[in-house]
Amino acid sequence: MKLKKFGASVLAMTMAASMMVGCGETAADTTEAPATETPATETPATEAPAAETPATEEAPAAEAKNIEATEITFWHAMNGNLESVLTEITDEFNASNEYGIKVTLVNQGAYGDLQTKLQASAAADALPDLAQAYNNWLTPYIDKAVKLDDFVATDFDNWEDIIPAYRDECSEFGFIHAVPYNKSTYVLFYNKTMFEELGIEVPQTWADVEAAAKTVMDAKNIAFIGYDDLAGVVEASLHQDGADYVDATGALFNDEKGLETCTYLSNLYNNGYARLVGEDGYFSNVISNQNIASYVGSSAGVSYIKAEGWDLGVAPLPGNVKKAANMAGTNIVMFAQDSNKQLAAWEYLKYILSTEAMTKWAVNTGYLPVRQSSYETAEYKAYMDENVCAAACYEQAKDFFFSPTFDASNDIRSTVPSTVEQLVYDKADAQTWLDTIVKAINDQY
Amino acid sequence: MDKKSFKGYLYLLPSIIIMLAFTVYPLIRAIIMSFLGDYSIINHGYSSIGFENYKNLFADPDFAKSLKNTSIYVICVVPASIFLSLVIAVLINSCKRFKALFQTIYFLPYVTSVIAIGIVWRWMFNSNYGLINYFLGLFGIDPVQWLNLPQYAMPALIIFAIWKSMAFNILIFLAGLQTIPEDIYRAARIDSTPRLRVFTRITVPQLAPMIVYSSVIGMIGAFKVYNEVFSLFQGKAGPANSAITIVYYIYDKFYNSYKYGVAAAGSVVLFLIILALTQIQLRVTGEKKKK
Repeated sequence: MKLKKFGASVLAMTMAASMMVGCGETAADTTEAPATETPATETPATEAPAAETPATEEAPAAEAKNIEATEITFWHAMNGNLESVLTEITDEFNASNEYGIKVTLVNQGAYGDLQTKLQASAAADALPDLAQAYNNWLTPYIDKAVKLDDFVATDFDNWEDIIPAYRDECSEFGFIHAVPYNKSTYVLFYNKTMFEELGIEVPQTWADVEAAAKTVMDAKNIAFIGYDDLAGVVEASLHQDGADYVDATGALFNDEKGLETCTYLSNLYNNGYARLVGEDGYFSNVISNQNIASYVGSSAGVSYIKAEGWDLGVAPLPGNVKKAANMAGTNIVMFAQDSNKQLAAWEYLKYILSTEAMTKWAVNTGYLPVRQSSYETAEYKAYMDENVCAAACYEQAKDFFFSPTFDASNDIRSTVPSTVEQLVYDKADAQTWLDTIVKAINDQY
Repeated sequence: MDKKSFKGYLYLLPSIIIMLAFTVYPLIRAIIMSFLGDYSIINHGYSSIGFENYKNLFADPDFAKSLKNTSIYVICVVPASIFLSLVIAVLINSCKRFKALFQTIYFLPYVTSVIAIGIVWRWMFNSNYGLINYFLGLFGIDPVQWLNLPQYAMPALIIFAIWKSMAFNILIFLAGLQTIPEDIYRAARIDSTPRLRVFTRITVPQLAPMIVYSSVIGMIGAFKVYNEVFSLFQGKAGPANSAITIVYYIYDKFYNSYKYGVAAAGSVVLFLIILALTQIQLRVTGEKKKK
């Protein structure tokens, strides 16, 4: 009797526990079955065999292209208007290319869903031919990405035309693993009406921010500034102060510069000049309700701001000893293993990165052009004249930096925001900020 | 094995296969994974075999916090939910005219998506416009920053979860109440037993199997809390990670940090906790029944 009962309860528990294990694993595990039958990938994967293949076939292909009609799958996370613009551009490619290449777009939901799906597919060796991805998603399976160096060298109109920071980001693993596509940057959104009413100029420096914040606090008793990305603001502020953030060995700012940056940030929060977003989710909601004077967020989020009864202004991020602005948005990575598919996918990438298609993409979505020549088209210039956000982004294009990717970078990205939140709740002083953040980062290695 | 039982096993075969493939196999894999250091699900490589993941797990203050939060959650949500459900079930059962209506209303949370409910509760908890703070305001209580401050994050989560988990318990108890023979109640009425005593001496003992069932299922479910956190705090684990739970921690390690081994170790620890507690629970309630 007892034994039976024990058995039953173990079974129940097994189910219960594995359900939650399933939570972490289903995606990986259900798809894992086929993976086991291709053990061959285990060893050579590290050598990235795919990279070599196109090189040999690519050279002759450049003159007389020999691409057989094929279908290319492209996983993306573009929704709403963004998706329809992408679809339109893709349809144009499908209709116009001479090889009969058909690119099929597959919407994988939000970025988080896409990240999860890609990870599971990498485990099952079932990655799509093309996918949007952030660099830090790729660390576990970067060796499955096709090296694009040869394509870029032999079959791209002008790689130098791509904004330098994007080129750096797309080659940070030591080879070109992606092409930039839907890029945005963090900008300062502000309530222009409120600024004018209180006689505040757009802040250029940290000192300007503090002065303006005091004016707003005295007049309106609301916070001046907020940051959607708390890890991003720590990183950007350090760069603005001429300091470094992290590298593969640990935090790099445990010094006077770091303390200076922490002093700036802790003062903002402790004086009520800056606030956390809390239940409002995103600062676009807070500024829409005029409960904050300005905030730093992604330029791609501009459409979420409802400026009713007030005018929205957009400006480059304020700096300290120099200017520095976070880049955001994904790149497109190629995973196609078949050499014909690689050639076909490259045709598509070339098409969507062409000055013309890129300009169209940028004007219709608000994403930033990835190449200089698009910025210089009459079409984009006209767009910038009307669109304050685009103009502000372009102004700081020279100040872009990207977050380096290494083993601990994902942990750092997820640890720093909650650490900063706790410091804000504790009203901690600058030295505590510095010590706590440095320790939180170094604990991740 | 005689022919008859062979046939029986044949009928069981499909579900056994499904269970082996989707329950037992992943469970074994998770256990193996938990002992492999730096395990990669991509190429199945690992750097060491041993307790490295468990060491990392127990050295991580976030895991300690998730254990603590989950324990508080279980201790608060399961008994409170059972008690309230029991009271409501008895009330619904005694109400003759609108029984079906109330049954439906109270069951709605169970069939509604947690994410949708989370959005509604997020509004109710809103510090400026929320219903909850409005009612507290009627009693002269200052607005509570439910979702903004770390110290209120767990209480908000627990209130939300109690409400959410009541639906299923009420259903179970209502079904149980139908099986209590009317004669016992009639006898009690003849003796003019006070209503409270009828409840404690007749209803509760008669419902004991359902209460045990609810508490076991409820406890298992409560230990696995994740959806509620995700939906209430918009995908985060509350302000400054103040409402992080074990499953949230495991998910985060697996999908965001790519620490597959640590995630597996966390799930094994959770498995052992649930196994142990359920055993204790069954022993205790089992012995009571024998008496």
